[in-house]
Order: sequence, then structure tokens, then C-alpha cells
Amino acid sequence: MTTAGWIFMIVSVLSVLSLVVYCVSKVLFYAPKD
Amino acid sequence: MSNVKEQWGSRIGVIMAVAGSAVGLGNFLRFPGKAAENGGGAFMIPYFVALLLVGIPLCWAEWAMGRYGGRHGFNSAPGIFSVLWKHPLSKYLGALALLIPMTVYFYYIVVEAWCLGYAWNYLTGNLMMGKNPGAYTDFFTTFTGSAADASLFSGTIQQSLIFIAITFVVNFLVVYRGLSGGIEKFCNIAIPMMAICAMCVLIRVLTLPANPENPEQNVINGLGFMWNPDLSVLRKPETWLAAAGQIFFTLSVGFGVIINYASYVKPKKDIALSGLTATSVNEFFEVCLGGTITIPAAFIFLGATTLATFTSSSFSLGFKALPNVFAEMPGGQVFGFLWFFMLFLAAITSSLSMLQPVMAFFEEGLGLKRKGSTLLMFLITLLGSGFVMYYSKDLAGLDSIDFWSGELFIVVLALVQAIIYGWVFGTKLGQEELDSGAELRIPRFVQFVIKFVSPAFLIWILYSMLTSKNDAGTLKMVEKLKDPIQLAGFCIVMGSLLFLWVMVYFAGQRWKKEGRA
Repeated sequence: MTTAGWIFMIVSVLSVLSLVVYCVSKVLFYAPKD
Repeated sequence: MSNVKEQWGSRIGVIMAVAGSAVGLGNFLRFPGKAAENGGGAFMIPYFVALLLVGIPLCWAEWAMGRYGGRHGFNSAPGIFSVLWKHPLSKYLGALALLIPMTVYFYYIVVEAWCLGYAWNYLTGNLMMGKNPGAYTDFFTTFTGSAADASLFSGTIQQSLIFIAITFVVNFLVVYRGLSGGIEKFCNIAIPMMAICAMCVLIRVLTLPANPENPEQNVINGLGFMWNPDLSVLRKPETWLAAAGQIFFTLSVGFGVIINYASYVKPKKDIALSGLTATSVNEFFEVCLGGTITIPAAFIFLGATTLATFTSSSFSLGFKALPNVFAEMPGGQVFGFLWFFMLFLAAITSSLSMLQPVMAFFEEGLGLKRKGSTLLMFLITLLGSGFVMYYSKDLAGLDSIDFWSGELFIVVLALVQAIIYGWVFGTKLGQEELDSGAELRIPRFVQFVIKFVSPAFLIWILYSMLTSKNDAGTLKMVEKLKDPIQLAGFCIVMGSLLFLWVMVYFAGQRWKKEGRA
């Protein structure tokens, strides 16, 4: 695995992870309950 | 206005159901194959561009149109379109959003049954056939009946028919129980279970030792096969087309599902954050799990050369290549079961979402009760799936319906929706709808994107599909219509559209009498 490969993988996975963590935590902990 | 309407039981429920609809076989089989074939890590550049410029904006547009239609008493796309665009033709365009889920279901249920069948055969040990690639190909050919037409119906009862019957019954039992009591409850259990199965397989794959016969075939190089970027592919339009196609396929945009599911969201409840959350959950399954499991596992046991022959076909990668991997992997029987059971869960949460839009139309357009709509849908899909099961040689029946409905019409419907949202319904009303109850502020430029960028992007994709000379292009598929089975598949799709248009006509008469349209 090349350095560029690592960079592309880590950036892609972290971008998606941060989006999902942001959204799910906002839904679960910050949004008004149903 | 409508009678007593169904609604989602909870916020989490609708997010799970939409995410369940989006997460399917494509996340684990199609995405890694496409990425590996189109520049590895470099594929993620057009992929994320398409996600931001087309995927997420169009998802929001569908959520907004769906809830707006629901607020005006409609849950099915023909009704919703007639509210958004007060023109006699609008409801006939909405029929496309019934056609796609209905006809895709014809073959999707068959593939779903394969996953269940494979999971069962791992559980019983029948699929642990050692290092013998030919054996797994033979198993697939026998199981799917792809050697000859009607082979599933000859002689004794074939195992796959039993699994198709089981998946049919489970799907219709769940959907008969209704939106909140059936689909929502099922997805609330299935999605976490799917995540657990995927995490177990991921941990197993990432901790696999190198292939003793060839230490170069290790997990790090497997990840490299998937992620090492080839930036030169960014100059090729095909790469961008493949990435945009993958985004459509994965997010269920232009599928007719989100617009239906969103119509059951209570007025003044958030759709902006819910829509983005469902999208992000789908991306988690695709990029974080799909992108790190399938290819590295296959690479260790098959090596780069053999693996490259499997990446172009999702079925080959999933049902022929991976069984070789599980055969050699320590604990392969358990992980093989977990993998195919996870694929089954991914498939069933998607297939359930294909039934609901059409059944909602039968109920509000033809006045059927849930029992009647379930029975009618059961009979229609049984006929359609019967065609796919009978004409199983080289999976020709499946391929034909998949192309016309699952590829071409999806782009057409997405374009129709983008135009109706941006140019008929209007971005001002659209923004107001998205802002109503929103727990996430959607930037104004998204409206510009939906109005100008998304339709332009979609027209380019449609043009490329119509003029492409490659094997999966429209020109080639038109040529293939000389084959009677391919022609029959095409006729089934067009016949279904005609049938739905007749139903929409009667629904329109009914709504007129009721003063609803």
C-alpha cells in the first residue's frame, strides 16, 4: 500500500465517519424528542 | 383529504428505514469493485463530488417533495406529483416512481433469496468445499439455474426455490403489518444487526495473516489494491460516470422510495437532518465497511490477477470469489454465514422499501385496504419474479429488467424529479419545506445546485448512457433486444409501465371525484 493509498483511505473513511458521528449524535442527543 | 393516514412511529424509525432502503448489496459488492476498477483511491474524488453535487441535494429534494405531498394527503408519487405540478400529465410521470421499485423487486427478491440460501448453506457446512474455485462456480450455476432456462423448475424442487418462497413470505408478512408496525420495527432491528455482522467480518479480515504461499498477499496490500490511487483516471469521463452511477445506485435517489417514505413524516418535523443522517449511515456501510472488507479479503486468498477478473461483476465477486476466501479463512464457516446473512439483511431492508410505494398507490389510488394491496402486489411480483426465475440462463431475464428499470429509468426519474423540484415546484418553496422544523440549516446554494447543477449532471449521465457503446450501454442493450428473452424483459418493463398508467388514470378519476386533484 502506497503512502497516497493510505492518505486516500484514511481521509475517505474519516470524512464519512465524522459525518455519521455528527449526524447520529445530533439526532440522538441534541434534537428534541418525538 | 385522505383517510386515517399511516405515519412513522419515531424519528429513528424513518432514518433506519431510509438507510435500510439505501444500504443494499451494492454497498458491499458493487462499490468496492467499481472503486478498484476505476483508479482505486482516486475514484473517491469523483465519488465525493457526485455525492455533494447530486446525491445529497437530490435526496433533500426528494424528502421535501415527499413531505409536502404527504401534508397534502398523498403518499404515492402520482398523487404527490399532481400536488407539486398541477398538470394532467404530472401523475403519469409519477408512475415512473412506482415502476422502478416494482420491476426492480422482480429480480431483487431472487438475489436476496440467494443470500439467504448461501447463509443457510454456510450454517450447514455445505459451502465449505475447500480450495476449489470450480466447485463454487458450479454451486452458483446450479443454485441460480444459470446453466439453462427453466432449470429451477425441472425435476425435484430446487433449494433456491424454497429460499425464494421464504423471502417472498417474509417480505409480504412484514409489509402487511404496515409502515410503523412492520417496516419500521423490522429495520430498527435489522440495521444494527447488519452493522454487528459487518463489524465481526471486518475485524476478522483486518486480522487475517498473510497468505503463507505468497506473503505479498497480505491485508495491507489488499487495502492497497482497493485504495492505491491512479490519478490518471480522473481525466476519463467514464470514471466520473461510474462514480455518479454508484452514488445514484447507493443512495436510492430516483428510485421512488424516499419520496414515498418522506410523505409519512409528520408535518413540522425535521427532514433536513434526517435526510443527511440516512445518507451518512449509508455511506458508513459503503465506504467504511464495503471499502475495507470485500477486496482485501479476496486479495489475500486470490491474489491481484485472479481478483481483477472478478471485480467487474458484483455477482462473481460476492457469490463465486468470496466463497473461496471463506474456505481458507480460519473460522470461515461462521464468517461465511455472517457475511451472507448480513447481505440478506441489507437486501431485505431494500426490498421492503420497493413494495411500500406501489402498495401506497393501490391504497390511495384504487381504494384498496392493506390486505387487498398486499395481495395484488404479491400476485404482480410473483408473475414478474416468475419470469426472472424461469429465464435464468446466464441470468438474462434479470439482466434485461435490471438495465431498463434499475439503470436507465432511475436516471430518467431523478432528472424528472430535479426538474419538477427546481423549475416547477420552485426552489423557494423547496427551501421553505426543508426549513420547516429543520434541525440543520441547509445552505442556500444547495437550491442553486438542485436547480442548475443536478439537472445538467443528470442530462450528461443520461446522454452518456444513451450513446455509450460499451457492453452495458443502451446501444448494446437495444442490439440485444434481438434475443427473445432480452426483448421479453424489456416488454415486461414497458408492459408494467402501461399497466401503471391505466391504474393512474383510474386513480386520477377517483381523486377528481373526491375533489383531491
